[in-house]
Amino acid sequence: MVVTVRSSATGVASAAVAVPFISTNTAEALMLGLATGPVCIASCGPVVLPWMLVQPQGVRVHARQMTLFLGARLVGYLLFASLIWMAGAAIARTWGEQTWMVGAVQVLLAGGLLIYAAGWPHAHCAMAQSEPPGLVQIGAAPAEPPRPRPTGAVALGFLTGINLCPPFLVAGVRVAQLPSLANALAFFALFFLGTAVWFMPLLSLSVVRRTPSFLTVARMAAVLLACWYGFSGASLLIEKAIYG
Amino acid sequence: MASAAILHPKRRPPPFRTVGRSVLLTLPIALWALLMFTPTLRSPGLNHHIGAAAAVLFMTLLFFLMMRTGKTFRWRRYFFVALGFLFPVGFIASLIHLRGSMSISLEHMLGGDTPFCHMVIPMILIPAALTRTVIFPGSILPTATNPHSVAVMIGLWLALTLVLGKAWCSYACFFGGIEEGFAALPKHIRIRKIDPRLRLVPWALLIAVAVLSAALFEPVYCMWLCPFKAVTEFPAVTGVKTAIQMGIFVALFVGLVVVLPFLTKKRTQCGFFCPFGAFQSLFNKINLFEIRFDRTKCVDCTLCQTACPTMALSAESIREGKTLLNCMKCGACVDSCKKHAAVWHLKGTPVAVKPERARLLFLYGAWALATMLGGSIIANSLATILGFLPIR
Amino acid sequence: MHKRLLAVLAYVGAALSLIVAACTPFVLMGAFSEAVARTGVHVDAVYSGGTIARTVMRDGYQIDVYRPVQPHALQNVDPFVQIAFRPAASLPRRFNTELDLDGDGRPDVRVSLVMPRNPRARPSGEVVALSEAYRSFRMPESEVGFSELIAQSNGAVLVRIPVNQPSAGR
Repeated sequence: MVVTVRSSATGVASAAVAVPFISTNTAEALMLGLATGPVCIASCGPVVLPWMLVQPQGVRVHARQMTLFLGARLVGYLLFASLIWMAGAAIARTWGEQTWMVGAVQVLLAGGLLIYAAGWPHAHCAMAQSEPPGLVQIGAAPAEPPRPRPTGAVALGFLTGINLCPPFLVAGVRVAQLPSLANALAFFALFFLGTAVWFMPLLSLSVVRRTPSFLTVARMAAVLLACWYGFSGASLLIEKAIYG
Repeated sequence: MASAAILHPKRRPPPFRTVGRSVLLTLPIALWALLMFTPTLRSPGLNHHIGAAAAVLFMTLLFFLMMRTGKTFRWRRYFFVALGFLFPVGFIASLIHLRGSMSISLEHMLGGDTPFCHMVIPMILIPAALTRTVIFPGSILPTATNPHSVAVMIGLWLALTLVLGKAWCSYACFFGGIEEGFAALPKHIRIRKIDPRLRLVPWALLIAVAVLSAALFEPVYCMWLCPFKAVTEFPAVTGVKTAIQMGIFVALFVGLVVVLPFLTKKRTQCGFFCPFGAFQSLFNKINLFEIRFDRTKCVDCTLCQTACPTMALSAESIREGKTLLNCMKCGACVDSCKKHAAVWHLKGTPVAVKPERARLLFLYGAWALATMLGGSIIANSLATILGFLPIR
Repeated sequence: MHKRLLAVLAYVGAALSLIVAACTPFVLMGAFSEAVARTGVHVDAVYSGGTIARTVMRDGYQIDVYRPVQPHALQNVDPFVQIAFRPAASLPRRFNTELDLDGDGRPDVRVSLVMPRNPRARPSGEVVALSEAYRSFRMPESEVGFSELIAQSNGAVLVRIPVNQPSAGR
């Protein structure tokens, strides 16, 4: 495989040489992902949990949504890996201190959760058409599990993918030291895989029976968590605007 | 309260039990109360003697009246409101004695001097289970400066939950009495229409604070949302953040604990906000005691629904002969039912066959623990108040 | 028969719950509390300061050097090392001392403290890092936080020295 290699001395991408795609970094990336997965769950839990709870019941629906979510999260990871590899390790260190970035992502996550709380992703699904907002289902339950729109899962997955949690930044610092872009991408993909394992138990939420009350509680929880993300994000942005 | 006696004041119902039988049934509680307060009565300090004696008499008298009249809610309310209003008095006085202020400073957090309160329990469970870490600036074992340690409060909670289930909120919570007091003040309900979805808010709040506390490794509810911080302790206001926190505490206290209970005659904080209450509701599933409805007697008058302080009854649940999960067994529905359709029930036994036996079994456990926890708080607070009075 | 058995079990359960209620006050402060402590549950080291690594005896007082505390990844607190001078009442009004925090035999920080006359007030002082692993600060000029403070608590003067993080973090 031919990839661009950056000179360790100048940091400039300059030569095209052949390097093995899989290296000893593979195990390191996977282990880092597995080891820091609980922190990822803790970091993304306040977004993922209410989002999963407002999904209609059914393993297939949840598996599809989770796949979309994780796929978008992977895209966010790879984008970050490319950026770090090109710009150098310094960006991973300074990015963590970019409060405006953290604040903006949190505000966007708050928006995403509010949209879910309002029931928009299910606006065109069978269940939503058969029930008034949030409370009582009228008529027979739909035979097929409703299929929510993929946009929400993709948006939340991508936003959590670029949400700067500590394990993410640790992996970022490591990526900057790798000799090639391919290695950097592979490192982050495997790191992602390690963390993604920890999200699988959340699929068990798909079997929890969705009563109208349950959905209302899930939406309320999404609103409350959106309030927290909004408050936290806005505080960071205001702090940045005032104190620089 | 819409009891028969109040609806028809001229027609006085006959006593439920004779004085003799009531005294006999009260005797175990009287002895228990004496046992609980013997150490206080033996220790020096007149104020403490008076406080303890008053608590023994108060708790015994109320139990006697429960036995004599057959009413539960009516007499429990006196205890609960007294507990709610006296707890902050004793607590604030002890804070001022120990710290010189109601606010908690960094130094007290470092020293593990923050009293652990039951509200924190749902937030500490996930981090404690995963990392054996308690995310609260208290101490595990009781100390001279902090007797309300994590272990003691967890033990109390476990015991009371086993015996009472969600009835913790009617017999043990030292905060709920404040709003029950404000709800008892007006004669008429000013706001009748309450969206039933509001009773789902505590569940949402429970999910949100449990997840956020586990993620941020700090007790989010205590730091941002607890209305009772306004009358107990709060972080010292040192900047914008702590000022916002204090503003939220005061606003929630005034709104949910004072104004709305007065307007609705409901325990609005307990019914529509408290995440600990929602958490405690889960234990109603394993608790042996409950309130049921005898459908052969029920005339769907909805008096019980009106009386219920936390909207734990719906038309559907009554039709099914049950309460909702958030029933805190205060007995308001049983007291208000003119047809005796609402009854105390021991799970596993036939409904409405021996309801008084179920009530007695429940009340002995509940009142014993209420005397131990609430009674001692009342005694201490009375002693504190007496200490402030210019008498010897 | 089934109903009868259920009823018997219910009454047994009710009796057991009464026994639990009766036993509660007698086991709570002693046996139960000790059992909880034995499970290894502990207060978060961000509040407690963690565990003591070693104690240095000085003239009339002792210095407890704690193990470094690495906060939970998402906690908004930097890693720190706590040192405790106790008893606070025996400390000189002004003093400074060099301390080895990591046990390698070389001093890592120089701590200078000025004790207030009011035992409840915060001491002022300065921590000068002699090793790159630690950060210097001055009180009351610096902002007090869980990872950077000089305070009096439970009869001891606590000093928390922030540790420089080797990798990126928030």
